[in-house]
Amino acid sequence: MTAPAATRRPSPDPRPVVEDGPDGAVIAGGRCADCGHPSATNAPRCVRCGGPAEPERFGPEGVVWATTTIHVSSGDRVAPYTLAYVDLAGGPRLLAHVQDGPGLGLPVGATVRLNGATGHGDPQVEPVG
Amino acid sequence: MSAYVWGVGTSAFGRQTERLPAELAWEALAEALADAGIDHVDAAYVGTVFGSLGVAQRALLGVGLTGIPIVTVENACASGSTALHEAKEAIVSGRYERVAVLGVEHLTSLFEGPIASDPTDREQATGLLFPGIYAMSASRYLHEHDATPEDLAAVAVKNSRHGALNPRAQRRRPLSTEDVLSSRMIAEPLTLFQCAALSDAAAAAILGPSRRSPRDVELRASALGSGGAWDHASEHVWGYDVVRDTAGVAYEEAAIGPRDADLAEVHDAFTIGELVTTEALGLAEEGGAPARVRAGDFALGGAQPVNPSGGLLSRGHPLGATGVAQVAELVWQLRGEAGDRQVQGARVGLLETMGGGTAGIDGNACVVAVFEGGA
Repeated sequence: MTAPAATRRPSPDPRPVVEDGPDGAVIAGGRCADCGHPSATNAPRCVRCGGPAEPERFGPEGVVWATTTIHVSSGDRVAPYTLAYVDLAGGPRLLAHVQDGPGLGLPVGATVRLNGATGHGDPQVEPVG
Repeated sequence: MSAYVWGVGTSAFGRQTERLPAELAWEALAEALADAGIDHVDAAYVGTVFGSLGVAQRALLGVGLTGIPIVTVENACASGSTALHEAKEAIVSGRYERVAVLGVEHLTSLFEGPIASDPTDREQATGLLFPGIYAMSASRYLHEHDATPEDLAAVAVKNSRHGALNPRAQRRRPLSTEDVLSSRMIAEPLTLFQCAALSDAAAAAILGPSRRSPRDVELRASALGSGGAWDHASEHVWGYDVVRDTAGVAYEEAAIGPRDADLAEVHDAFTIGELVTTEALGLAEEGGAPARVRAGDFALGGAQPVNPSGGLLSRGHPLGATGVAQVAELVWQLRGEAGDRQVQGARVGLLETMGGGTAGIDGNACVVAVFEGGA
């Protein structure tokens, strides 16, 4: 049986883990020991070839692959807020919030930098330059 | 051996807050059974996303279908069409003779705004609601191709004109480009009228082997796939590859190519979805869908009408019911029973449904099916 919402425990957090790195924020992911494919998760095997994954940190620099500003609030996140898929340099694609994103007009292809996590614990990037 | 659709039915589509999901299903099942001319089936496959616990059994009970094997399927937006695919396989393999396919969903009792995925989905947990998923595709598509927000809106304009001719559609007002672009922004660049509405509805189909009735519609082929990994190494926007690959299997099984379809019912939960899907299905070249829409090729009266029902954008998107509602539209079209929105001379119809989230997967599920009338 599903527990009433009020008594339900929060779900385990599936988001990538953001950590402090030597040169800015990084995410804790993994890289396949066989094919070298990077991943934003701690999954034990490579999503592409099934080879063994070894822990690796990625970031802070990346390029915006796509972006959107969400204009409808959900849960305790207040709209508008801007999200971007960011391809981290040499690493995986990461879904991140863009700091002060609404109104920024951040284009696809822009260089951004992972600078930590939002108050909600979401990975957050800021434009570079 | 092929499976045939003997009968179809649907409930009304819309915000039906006072009606139980089972009641909606009774309406759809009763119509489908009467259309098929039978009272009983050997088994039922039921697609539903958020209402799975016992809804199938309660629905089937109300039309006297008890004591039979019932399988409930959750496969995101392709739940109903997955139920169709499994029912077909059951008939072709000889496991069952007469099978009911049901899709049912009651979204207004669960959501007030955009539909959210599972809280353990990492993209959902980061605040990417379903409109956001498609907005990301739109962002990338507009960047890569010679396309504009007006091209996105043109899909909504076209489908609203089709939907205005569909008495079962939830939205029946023809929209202008201005109407679409000036409607409330949901997830840039997608505005409200570029998003299918929350809907409560059910749809049903009865499948069986050939009985040499000219009203029965042959399900010549169906294919079910799930997405591969979707990440920085992916060449296309989310969902493109899984639709292309699933369609390839269905085309091969039906021994047709995309140009052989006289019409298509495809998954336009958002305008960008129809552009990407028609390209992935091979109805348009990559990046070429906006030009085909502008030329009127995909409109009623055009070379290859896409979503003559008005699509999800008009009909509404009761997730589990959507795929089966697409079956109903194709059956009506291929029988010549589609009224004011009839595609003249329709003989071969294509169905595509794809759904899921973007958290590393190129779509949870995709079904592509090929139907032929005049059995």
